[in-house]
Amino acid sequence: MLAPLDLKLLRDIGTMKGQMVAVSIVMACGIAMMIMSRSLILSLESTRDAYYERYRFADVFSGLKRAPNALRDRLAEIPGVAAVETRVSGSMKLDLPGLAEPADGGILSLPEDRPQQLNQLFIRRGRLPEIGSHNEVVVGEAFAKAHGFEPGNRIDAIIYGAKQRLKIVGIVLSPEYVFEARAGETLPDARRFGVFWMNERELATAFDLSGAFNNVVVDLAPGEDSAAVISELDRVLAPYGGLIAYGRKDHPSAVRLDDEIRILKGLAVAFPAVFLSIAAFMVSAVLTRLIRLQREQIAQLKAFGYSSGQVGWHYLKFALVIVAIGTTLGGLVGLWLGVNVVQIYHRFFQFPSLTFHPHWAAIGVAFLVSSGAAFAGVIGAVRQAIKLPPAEAMRPEPPAEFKASFFERIGLQKLASPSFRMALRNLERRPWQAVFTTFGLALATGIPIVPGAMRDGINYLMTFQWNLAQRQDVTLNLIEPGSASALSDVRHLPGVLSAEPFRAVPARLRFGHQSRRLGISGLSRDAMLNRLLDANAQPVSLPPNGLLISAKLAEILRVKPGDRIIVEVQEGQRPVREAVVHGLITDYAGLAAYMEIGALRQLMREGGTLNGAHLAVDSQQWPAFLEKVKESPRVASLGITSAVRGSFQKSTGEMIGAIQTMYFGFAIVVSFGVVYNSARIALSERSRDLATLRVMGFTHREVASVMIGELAILTLSALPIGLVIGSLLAAGIIATASTETVRLPLVLSPRSYATAVLIVLTSAAISFAVVSRRIRQLDMLGVLKARD
Amino acid sequence: MRIDAPESLDTPPSATAQEETREPLFAARGLEKVYPSGEVEVRALNGVDLDLYEGELIVLLGASGSGKSTLLNILGGLDVPSAGTLTYRGEDLTQADEGELTRFRRDSVGFIFQFYNLIPSLTARENVALITEIARDPMTPEGALQLVELDDRMDHFPSQMSGGQQQRVAIARAIAKRPEVLLCDEPTGALDIKTGITVLEAIERVNLELGTLTVLITHNSVLAEMADRVIHLSDGHIVDIRENRTRRPVRTLAW
Repeated sequence: MLAPLDLKLLRDIGTMKGQMVAVSIVMACGIAMMIMSRSLILSLESTRDAYYERYRFADVFSGLKRAPNALRDRLAEIPGVAAVETRVSGSMKLDLPGLAEPADGGILSLPEDRPQQLNQLFIRRGRLPEIGSHNEVVVGEAFAKAHGFEPGNRIDAIIYGAKQRLKIVGIVLSPEYVFEARAGETLPDARRFGVFWMNERELATAFDLSGAFNNVVVDLAPGEDSAAVISELDRVLAPYGGLIAYGRKDHPSAVRLDDEIRILKGLAVAFPAVFLSIAAFMVSAVLTRLIRLQREQIAQLKAFGYSSGQVGWHYLKFALVIVAIGTTLGGLVGLWLGVNVVQIYHRFFQFPSLTFHPHWAAIGVAFLVSSGAAFAGVIGAVRQAIKLPPAEAMRPEPPAEFKASFFERIGLQKLASPSFRMALRNLERRPWQAVFTTFGLALATGIPIVPGAMRDGINYLMTFQWNLAQRQDVTLNLIEPGSASALSDVRHLPGVLSAEPFRAVPARLRFGHQSRRLGISGLSRDAMLNRLLDANAQPVSLPPNGLLISAKLAEILRVKPGDRIIVEVQEGQRPVREAVVHGLITDYAGLAAYMEIGALRQLMREGGTLNGAHLAVDSQQWPAFLEKVKESPRVASLGITSAVRGSFQKSTGEMIGAIQTMYFGFAIVVSFGVVYNSARIALSERSRDLATLRVMGFTHREVASVMIGELAILTLSALPIGLVIGSLLAAGIIATASTETVRLPLVLSPRSYATAVLIVLTSAAISFAVVSRRIRQLDMLGVLKARD
Repeated sequence: MRIDAPESLDTPPSATAQEETREPLFAARGLEKVYPSGEVEVRALNGVDLDLYEGELIVLLGASGSGKSTLLNILGGLDVPSAGTLTYRGEDLTQADEGELTRFRRDSVGFIFQFYNLIPSLTARENVALITEIARDPMTPEGALQLVELDDRMDHFPSQMSGGQQQRVAIARAIAKRPEVLLCDEPTGALDIKTGITVLEAIERVNLELGTLTVLITHNSVLAEMADRVIHLSDGHIVDIRENRTRRPVRTLAW
């Protein structure tokens, strides 16, 4: 049997269920976001950590030209090194059935004479290549899945210029390819890029590296600092053509995964904070009104001998019920969203199993945080109610005091009808209520701007990247740097209309204490296909000497145009030079530095060397072109602009679609909830006014318009604020999501603004309609005869 | 037995004859109002026949629950009878829909309640202007307020006025549209005697100067002296209608 006060609680809740639901749902949105992102972070982090540990993901990585296997023991003796794995690594071209263009892949060696210590493979199906077998490979799961490969299938590959027919014996995953993409690429393209593993001896022979290795990964002893090991590794490998070693924080796959987790962490705080503060205000508004209405009941309870504590607790329980509903609902929605969003991550990240781990503690935290917010919202009203002496509380509240509104004091009263003045004065009488309602509506307006900005940013990026900057049909990469004759061969491929050579040299750029490893690209000054653009998408021409670098790289290195930076080339004679940064260019993926190709060749002391070319190809001859390229042993890979663009569009399209649905949903819930709640409170506070108007002969429509006028003022003043908040929110979220690997331009279009305004106005109109129906049901006489 | 029919009234023949020559403003026949109240039905009106004429001042007397307010509300188009007919200028109000009743109230009826029901966010003048804006042939808000002698309080908000002043604003608001009917439900119920008199004087003045049919509910039988006719209700019936040969001015009434 419930205590009488709890029965009262239940019945009071029954009469105000609409508002309770509205508040609970707004709260649930925040909690859902929090639970979803916290759970996703937990799922990704725990899966990642377990995977890295169990399959011994290395700590330090380095490439080199060639070193004898005997060097392995010396590397193992470097202080701080726990384990060393030396490998042969290279790339190959694939001719796949059903794919007109060639695909390419990375291929790594598997040790035969010793157990694999680091970056161990998880075998999904099949087995590893047998010792001494021939042409047996295992393949990464993403690529296998994209093509439907199973153990036993055979594929044609060109490894280091030699055609080979490879037999797939297993489908595997590796901790170093959680993000299975070409190094530095933003999104995976599993149809055109895959990773393979082959026995060491066979692969070394294929790359002309018998008895040697060209890649090393290192595991640090517990507690060791990677910097010391990296510099020692660089020193030892330098004579062997060692490239600069790097740690996990620069590992392309690891960075991509960590970037994703970082974005989630930002969202896990920002959104719940926004929603919970709106919800706290709504709880406060609802309960303050309830307590004001129940003034006399409170007095009676106290007169009967209930303590202030009991009465206060009774009203806090209302808040608790809202929080309990909000947490339960938010928890369920958050878990549901999480389970589904994890599926999206499956598409980008390859784990042996990425299972969803609900963050139960976060649900507890969410409950506590929202209880805290709700209590903070109502404690003032509760305290006022209980400190009132019973005799005084039993008298009705003194009549509401009003004064002329600000607009009238400055002389604008001529403009306003009495009903408009009512609205203005009501708003001025409870300014905080008006401010918070406006704030809630402004946030609701701001939320849908975020996905709009993302969509527009992606569209702008695609136009910028592929219509303005990279206008080539194809980027052709050679297996190894070629000479002027290679360019002439490329120009003679079928259908090639124009070919612009490029040179790419690995280097480290250093300015003060900042440095970054990247490739310096050499392009022709007059390049028409692959152009460099500034922030206004205007072409920037390369200076005869010196560098143009990504604006993002300038930010990281803290350089500005005119500064001289140190360029440490990691190829050939490894020259170290100073170079002037002549200007900045705008790009949206990775970090880049460009030099005029002649100047770069001069730096390298070489002639007409190139790594590949950007091509315009006659579409009529496209099949013949592809046919020829597939056969050509010197071509390592092809980057087909339309294919890259297509896969980018597909994968971002899905992501944006999901984000948009979620954000639009939240915006609708918040704006409906806020308007509905304000309207209900206004209705309750002004039912006497409205009934009076009805008695005097105002029609339903006229009465509704009086009240809607007030909400309309709030809604309309919230819209411009909301557009500003939304722009800031979009800028903030895009900045959080902007990493070295991928950035999104901030594009705020009239369309995003219009969508946001439309969403809020529509939900406001619907809640007006719901409340207008209540005005229709208003009991005129009951209200007028009752004392307020 | 029905003693409430106008024909059976014990009134001088001359007066009856005179009234029969005029068209009544309201004509009620067999009015009944039944409220469902849980398992039982409450009969608030149980067969009321009544004619009300232009310019009359009527006082409705009766105990709580006698049906006074129900009758007043039905006359004012705030409520509809369960049975019987009610015509206003020959138009059947019982057949009117919600929109027609709203229009009837808007054009023809002024209400005054015990609680003044002013809009707290509007000044006296603006509370009246609210009505003059939608009425067909209104006075100016200032004119209406002068009639209740509140011309010096026009820009005060309700919270800045006494109860009597607020009630007089309510009267000004009710009469500003020049209604043909003024319905007052215990207008002085919440006021002290002195203030009550100023309010009643305002009502009296409106009735005399504008010729508005005025129906006034009260518990105070002394007020019966100010009426043309005094109607007694009990248990939903009219038990007595008394006609005063002369109306006594409000200021001469002794409470």
